[in-house]
Amino acid sequence: MSMSSELNLSVSTSPHLRSKENVPNAMRDVAVSLLPVSAVSIYWFGLNALFLIVLCMATALLTEVVFRKMLNRRSKRFDGSSLVTGLLIALCFTVNTSWWTAVIATVIGVGIAKELMGGIGWNLFNPALFGRVSVVIFAPLLLNEVNIAFKPLGFSLSTVDVVTQATPLALLKYGSGLPSLSSLFLSFPGGALGETSALALIAGGAYLIYRKHIRWQTPVSIIATVFVIALLLDSGRLGIAAPLYHIFSGGVLLGAIFMATDWVTSPITTKGKIIFGVSVGILIMVFRLFLAPVEGTAFSILIMNAFVPYIDRATKRPRFGEVAATAKMAPGVSQPVQRSV
Amino acid sequence: MTSKTFSQGVYLPHYKKFSEDKSITVISLPEEVVIPLHQHTGAPCHAVVKVGDTVKTGQKIGESAAFVSAFIHASANGTVKAIEPRPYFNGLLVESVVISVNPEQEEPRWNEKDVTELSRDEIKAAIKEAGIVGMGGAAFPTHVKLSPPKPIDAIIINGCECEPFLTCDHRMMVEMTDSLVEGAKLIARAVEAPHIIFGVEANKPDAIQAIGAKIAGDSNIEIAVLDVKYPQGSEKQLIKAAMNLEVPPGKLPFDVGVIVNNVATAIAVYEACRYQKPLYERVLTFSGDGAAKPGNVKVRIGTPISHVIDQCGGLPSQVGKVVLGGPMTGWAQSRLDVPVVKGTSGILIFTSSMVDDYGHMDCVRCGKCVEHCPMYLYPNYIGVYAETRRYPMAVEWGAMDCFECGICVYVCPSNRPIVQFVRDTKKHVAARSSK
Repeated sequence: MSMSSELNLSVSTSPHLRSKENVPNAMRDVAVSLLPVSAVSIYWFGLNALFLIVLCMATALLTEVVFRKMLNRRSKRFDGSSLVTGLLIALCFTVNTSWWTAVIATVIGVGIAKELMGGIGWNLFNPALFGRVSVVIFAPLLLNEVNIAFKPLGFSLSTVDVVTQATPLALLKYGSGLPSLSSLFLSFPGGALGETSALALIAGGAYLIYRKHIRWQTPVSIIATVFVIALLLDSGRLGIAAPLYHIFSGGVLLGAIFMATDWVTSPITTKGKIIFGVSVGILIMVFRLFLAPVEGTAFSILIMNAFVPYIDRATKRPRFGEVAATAKMAPGVSQPVQRSV
Repeated sequence: MTSKTFSQGVYLPHYKKFSEDKSITVISLPEEVVIPLHQHTGAPCHAVVKVGDTVKTGQKIGESAAFVSAFIHASANGTVKAIEPRPYFNGLLVESVVISVNPEQEEPRWNEKDVTELSRDEIKAAIKEAGIVGMGGAAFPTHVKLSPPKPIDAIIINGCECEPFLTCDHRMMVEMTDSLVEGAKLIARAVEAPHIIFGVEANKPDAIQAIGAKIAGDSNIEIAVLDVKYPQGSEKQLIKAAMNLEVPPGKLPFDVGVIVNNVATAIAVYEACRYQKPLYERVLTFSGDGAAKPGNVKVRIGTPISHVIDQCGGLPSQVGKVVLGGPMTGWAQSRLDVPVVKGTSGILIFTSSMVDDYGHMDCVRCGKCVEHCPMYLYPNYIGVYAETRRYPMAVEWGAMDCFECGICVYVCPSNRPIVQFVRDTKKHVAARSSK
């Protein structure tokens, strides 16, 4: 009987088994899934792209540390989510983005959209997209002043001579000179770092689905919606190729695979994921066909982020046995009793 | 062989290799047995012996006038040393009869009875007299379960044993097939059920074969081979898998005309009817990554788990946890003088490498718990709301329908103790409704 005090047995509530799932591992997998497209962007844009990626990731990490310290948040384990947010923000920018724009976007994304909202799990909006669009919104107010303020530092990516090309999206909206579909699919140096290769994005998405970190319903419903609407409303100029141009250019794939599938800011249920995906797809096409073709995918996803709690509630599934119980209560409906053999 | 199953759930590592091929052996009697007077769902028993009385194996030592209760019997010849509160596996103290065991034991003698002549009331009376409870862990009195207010279409004998590590039901199905099938027939007769279904997971082919051979030619008995998925052995999931019937929320299996009994319970029913043998011993699995000699052992009720551990090779130096029951729903012990009771299906020894001590993080809404919950609940929301003490919201997202299988915690990347949040909610609701 005295054994117990010497034994120092560990006591906790059930269950006593754990799977190997944890957030840092999942974040590592997301980072791995973004490696192909990052590599393609570095191939096209060289060290400038690499610099932008490293800058955003380092800023994200630093922002997380500073905000947690500032908020006096109880020590949380390092989960790696800020590094992924930093990487995603970098991939949302074109290579000639000035370095301080990327830094501001990252600080807003990680600091305001995530840490100030309560940290990972509590944010309503996708931190990467929130950071990205906030600099779009602030741009008219800040651009000149900040440009002047940072001039003495004498360092801006925009001063570096790099290949700059009109994005396929702009070409799609305003004119001709579109690249071939196959080059768009494989690799094309227009637009943001994360928009340089459809194939690389799809490969990353396939890896995340294979690793069970995301479900296929969200990206597929977004892409299918974009496809159908483009086919119906925009096949006048490009014919049957229009849907594919819409899918392979701009941020559709990056958004559908890596942003709309964010655990924290997307619906929990399968039905909810499809409603969310179709709505995002519709909004993307509204932006593209009727509004300015600037960050349409980002705005679409952020708008739908706000509806996620309502989508979860509206798509709440019946509990085990609830459907059978309701069917039984309905008059004249008899439950077929299936017997096992 | 196609195997049936239910929706959702999770594929767990089996961990059955340690003990699945080990025949049942008998653990020797300890120096004293501690027999709790409340080992079942329902009213506690009161002692019908006094300190100083000599008792014999199988003698009734506790009873209750309440219908929902189960009699308690001595598990050894000896002298009543004390009747006092003693530690129980759930961490509380329970009034117990402490018997100091005679070094001289004689084999109890039984009158064999022809069970084919027993009426349904005689079967139920024998079960009640023997103090039989559900031996899968819930310990619900069997004579109560076999008195349903509705006609019963089928009884299911639960041979799933879906908890990892546990193999005692498996071994009983293989080694005691005759008693098992006879017990199942007695249960079916007690409720006048026309059909018997044995539900066995596909990872026990020898058990499936043994039962199959025994029931061949009997058109009223069938065997349902089930997918090896947790929690296949939970009543509602088992009924869904074997018969494609769903028991509605808040209802019991008899509401859909089914009664489920565990393998060990069926064998105990047979022994009670055939020999008038009370439930004073049971087979359990001794296993775990830290178990020196894993196996399946027959243990007298009231035997301290320290005695079983000693008989099975002792504890490893790096012991982390000692769990009574399965790893998903069992109870971690802080002391080893707690006794084996009627519902103890296993003693698991885990080394410190199996112990998690890293705390939990906030919910990241990954949805894995929602994807796997066998009751189609929302463990993510239950956890978040219960953690912030918004219990009515936790109830709205399904807390009261949870049977605490533990899958949500198992799959959670943030290691959130959702089962504990559910228990907090249930406790809060019970406290409010009793006001």
